[in-house]
Amino acid sequence: MFLGIDIGSSSTKAAVVDQDKKLLAVSVQNLGTGTTAYETVVADVLARAGVQPSDIRFTVATGYGRVNYKGADKQITEITCHAKGVNFLTRDAKTIVDIGGQDAKVIKLDANGKVENFVMNEKCAAGTGRFLEVMARVLGCELGELSNLADHADKEISINNVCTVFAGSEVISRLSGGETSANVARGAHVAIAKRVMGMCNRVGYEPKIVMTGGVALNANMVDALAREMGYPIEVAPHCQAAGAIGAAVFAYEYFQKQ
Amino acid sequence: MYKDTIEKLTAAGLNPGKTIAETKKETGKDLVGVFPIRTPEEVVYAAGCVPIGMWGGHTEITLADKYLQSFCCSIMRINLEYALRGVYHDVKAVLIPTFCDTMKCIVENWKLALPQVPTIAFAYPQHHKLQAGMEFTIDEIKRVKHELELALHKIITNEEVEEAFHVYEDWRKTMREFTALAAQHPEIITAKKRYAIIKAGCYMDKAVYTKLVKEINEGLKSEGPSTFKGTRAIVTGIMMEPVDVLDIFEENNIAIVGDDLAIGSRLWRTPAREDVEDVYQKMAYMIRDIEGDTFFFDPEKKKGQMLIDMTKALHADACIVMMMKFCDPEEYDYPIYKAELAKAGVPELYLEFDQQLSSFEQIRTRVQSFTEMLV
Repeated sequence: MFLGIDIGSSSTKAAVVDQDKKLLAVSVQNLGTGTTAYETVVADVLARAGVQPSDIRFTVATGYGRVNYKGADKQITEITCHAKGVNFLTRDAKTIVDIGGQDAKVIKLDANGKVENFVMNEKCAAGTGRFLEVMARVLGCELGELSNLADHADKEISINNVCTVFAGSEVISRLSGGETSANVARGAHVAIAKRVMGMCNRVGYEPKIVMTGGVALNANMVDALAREMGYPIEVAPHCQAAGAIGAAVFAYEYFQKQ
Repeated sequence: MYKDTIEKLTAAGLNPGKTIAETKKETGKDLVGVFPIRTPEEVVYAAGCVPIGMWGGHTEITLADKYLQSFCCSIMRINLEYALRGVYHDVKAVLIPTFCDTMKCIVENWKLALPQVPTIAFAYPQHHKLQAGMEFTIDEIKRVKHELELALHKIITNEEVEEAFHVYEDWRKTMREFTALAAQHPEIITAKKRYAIIKAGCYMDKAVYTKLVKEINEGLKSEGPSTFKGTRAIVTGIMMEPVDVLDIFEENNIAIVGDDLAIGSRLWRTPAREDVEDVYQKMAYMIRDIEGDTFFFDPEKKKGQMLIDMTKALHADACIVMMMKFCDPEEYDYPIYKAELAKAGVPELYLEFDQQLSSFEQIRTRVQSFTEMLV
């Protein structure tokens, strides 16, 4: 059995792949690096896979917290692991858009599914899940309710502030001015989409576009991004765990080489 | 023995404050601060002073915000911060070239912030290749000489300027040799050592420093073939700090085999004209002959091709862009040469940083991902 663990800034994911390179289980815990989530996620994924720790032959760690994870046989960056994971989960991907809790990446793949180029968000949390968390708080709803709320938008409004903190203030002003929560929610999705488009243009993109990361669970967000990019977007199965799945596949491959 | 010199200069480059204090003590000379990107240091040297590079540092900004906004070149902010804290109390004058809008404004801020130290602005011509540009450069150099004479209460003779120019030409030639030899031995001159050795020259008497670099050059020439097996990269940008970034390069087995850095080859890659007699003309021609430099008007935008040629000549695997926040001139150039590098098939890694950076995980991920991508 082969274990991949993705220790991100706001969540920790794990995946187990078996000796036939078949995905057995994934697990997602909503705590990131600096916490003990890695213990919980590993215990959970092993339980789901029905395997014991002693069955694990090779472990690859990825994500922000990969360097400090002591249980890994190898550490590989999340850029490379996402590419591996997406290629495992789907076919013919050429562009990966990964939007997580605190970061966003666009990865361009070559004809063999290998990373050709990539860009990560530079300055701040604008364009990431954190922006949506702030918006959900201002709108008085759960993060998971944003998509349904935005589906009821009857117009597109523009949220002009680039900074997540100032955008929160701008949204409060909009609501005070009588704007609907649904329109604001949609506006927030479009704001992220525009920000991500800047990154896509820097690295270059082409279809097939696959989205990963927790924000991909927000269908309205995916729709907003697809409209900006001008192409349909496929949400990878197990989108939050794509990096961990890639890490597990790498663990399998490195073990075969030994 | 030459490896001891490598360690000595590496330590000197990584500890500017200590090196400057030692320079003052060992030479007995007065110090004159010189801002980036380049100044006519020869004139300062001719005055019997040591030009000390003012390339910012790693500190928190509390006082400089009185004058400068956050979205501003971090070197300028930190220099101003240090000035307001009294760090530069020992310099006899400061030379500030006006290469960009921030520098132009800094000249005036500086006079307010540090009124006790004479501030001498130096304007390089936009059209540096025209005859008028040459004449302007010569006039500016002579004006700076005059202002230094007033600030230092001494006369600087033309002979002294010529002598200083010879010292600097020897330094430039020696550094060209050093970077060529370092490219052949990245297992000895690692990314961090290479940068620190170069930077040490900003804080030392050039004659003293050049002698030490010559020792290193002779040592490198005596070595056998290189054993380096990692990624050979060229870099472009202003500088490579905080130096933690260089540790990350070394963690990922990346060597710097060539550079287009402001603290680097931009300072010495243009040789002086040997068929020109007058020292001021020589200095003006050096400016005139500059090519592919971000800070000099270049309508043909030669930087991209220059980087491509450098990659091929040095058998480099990639080009790393060290983009300092918020350097407008460098950022304006980037889209142009980025497209050219992509068309030429040169892998390129873009790293954005400022001198106050204290968390390096994002950069670590970018650098490691890049090396994984190259495999």
